[in-house]
Amino acid sequence: MKKIVAVTSCPTGIAHTYMAAEALQMAAKELGVEIKVETRGSVGAENEITADDLKQAHAVILACDTKIDEDRFQGLPIVRASVKDAIKDPKGLITKAMSMEKKDYVDKVFEAKKEAKEKATGVYKHLMTGVSYMIPFVVAGGILIAISFAFGIKAFEQKGTLAAALMDIGGGSAFYLMVPILAGFIAFSIADRPGLVPGMIGGLLANKLGAGFLGGIVAGFAAGYLVAWLKKTIKLPKTMEGLMPVLILPVLSTLIIGLGMIYVVGEPVAALNKAMTEWLKSMSSGSAVLLGIILGLMMAFDMGGPVNKAAYTFAVSTLAAGQPSTIMAAVMAAGMTPPLGLALATLIAKDKFTTEEREAGKAAFFLGISFITEGAIPFAAADPLRVIPSIMIGSAVTSVLSILFKCTLAVPHGGIFVLPIPNAVGNLLLYAVAIAIGTVVTALIVSILKPKKV
Amino acid sequence: MDIKALFSPSRMSFDLQAKTKEAVIEELIELLYKDGKLSDKEKFKKAVMKREEEFSTGIGMGIAIPHGKDSSVLEPCVVFGVSKKGIDFDSMDGEPAYIFFLIAVPENADDTHLHVLSFISRKLMHEDVRKKLYNAESFEDVISAFEEK
Repeated sequence: MKKIVAVTSCPTGIAHTYMAAEALQMAAKELGVEIKVETRGSVGAENEITADDLKQAHAVILACDTKIDEDRFQGLPIVRASVKDAIKDPKGLITKAMSMEKKDYVDKVFEAKKEAKEKATGVYKHLMTGVSYMIPFVVAGGILIAISFAFGIKAFEQKGTLAAALMDIGGGSAFYLMVPILAGFIAFSIADRPGLVPGMIGGLLANKLGAGFLGGIVAGFAAGYLVAWLKKTIKLPKTMEGLMPVLILPVLSTLIIGLGMIYVVGEPVAALNKAMTEWLKSMSSGSAVLLGIILGLMMAFDMGGPVNKAAYTFAVSTLAAGQPSTIMAAVMAAGMTPPLGLALATLIAKDKFTTEEREAGKAAFFLGISFITEGAIPFAAADPLRVIPSIMIGSAVTSVLSILFKCTLAVPHGGIFVLPIPNAVGNLLLYAVAIAIGTVVTALIVSILKPKKV
Repeated sequence: MDIKALFSPSRMSFDLQAKTKEAVIEELIELLYKDGKLSDKEKFKKAVMKREEEFSTGIGMGIAIPHGKDSSVLEPCVVFGVSKKGIDFDSMDGEPAYIFFLIAVPENADDTHLHVLSFISRKLMHEDVRKKLYNAESFEDVISAFEEK
């Protein structure tokens, strides 16, 4: 039998709370539905909903006119109503609750992602807006470049061939837009539409000056805050206000950002960019291992949060040159093992996971092979102190192995689906080995650390 | 559950005279005041009316339960009243109300009384209880309507 849990609560907490509860209970009885109603009246919470109830619950009815804590109902479909509704039409509420679908695991992951996006604020939010607009460009460009490599790693040098055309589309165009789009949408996020022009132009200049990614980020933020400041500061007579968005803001902001990029920001950032690339290139195996460990730990630490995205963005920047990158390979592998490892753990240590988690394991597997690290979140949320360290270690192992095996990746995303493209992955076999080892390590540690479920 | 403690024959009227919402609330409060349960009837009325503004306590099915929690209340108690003609109480179902419970609770009521009130509120949702209250003619009738299973 399906079970519904409900909470009733009214401002005075003397009468309606209880009437609503009784009405729901009576209606449920009539409909043959099991229900448990928690009342939050002036005596406090009674008949409280337990974790066990939640496990059996199909949906939640909140007949509340006061604010209550909804966190514990996460993942369950919620029917919101007033106390009045519950007294007036309890059957309707129960029927509605019964008809709601329990959200499955994949939905939960995407919801968590969306929520994180909505919660993000300030600098991080602007950066993420830029990155999220840029990623499709990188993916389109990266995959087309990878296909060009499929004709042979140097096939594109032959003019007039398909390989050359693909390289021109992917590397020459899509990748060319990468930094301008990043900078443009960082500025867009800060200052809305007027930010786009100086942002994109600043980003393009960063490209030309060799200041790359870092320069683009600087340009984006500078453009955004500049436009926001100009909008606030420049006061025009009413009759000329129309000139602001079409003439004054774009010209003035572009002039300032452009000159700033060329005379101030460009050179030092270009130097920094060059130094970083040099350092990456010249890395001895020692520092490569260190870098691998750091990136691996970062990828697993918050599964799609700011730390993970920082590592990821860094890796994407190593692709900007249009060359396959060991860093990108390490980072993608490290982002795949947390959900994969947990999926494996639900298979090898069945008794340490709930039935629900074992089901979720299957979904986590698919999220893992698709390089959606967020697939590990529900497991980590349920038991962070054991799960997060385990997946961090697993990711670090994978990342280091991938670097030591000199695996490379020419695309920024795609998980297992890019592996069959010839030359998209350098050292494919060992790359698969690195991912497999990390997965097993994660699964073993999780299985050892987690206590048995009774 | 000691329901009797909240009711009293002196706080019951089986033939309310009021014809409007505000008037019936006043009539019920007057009973409460005469019984010595209120220190300030105007202040209590204000609390009750304020509660009505949030949304009407006319819960439909011919029942209204105006209530107030206020420092002017000396001890928790209930006034019971029946109006034979029915009174428009802005009820949820648009129908007039016939049965009235005026609930008075002091600012720092103890849980026992609140439990009794919640018990009464729940009982009112049952049709057989309501029927008995309609036809109640004495203190004993009202109490037995709640006490019977």
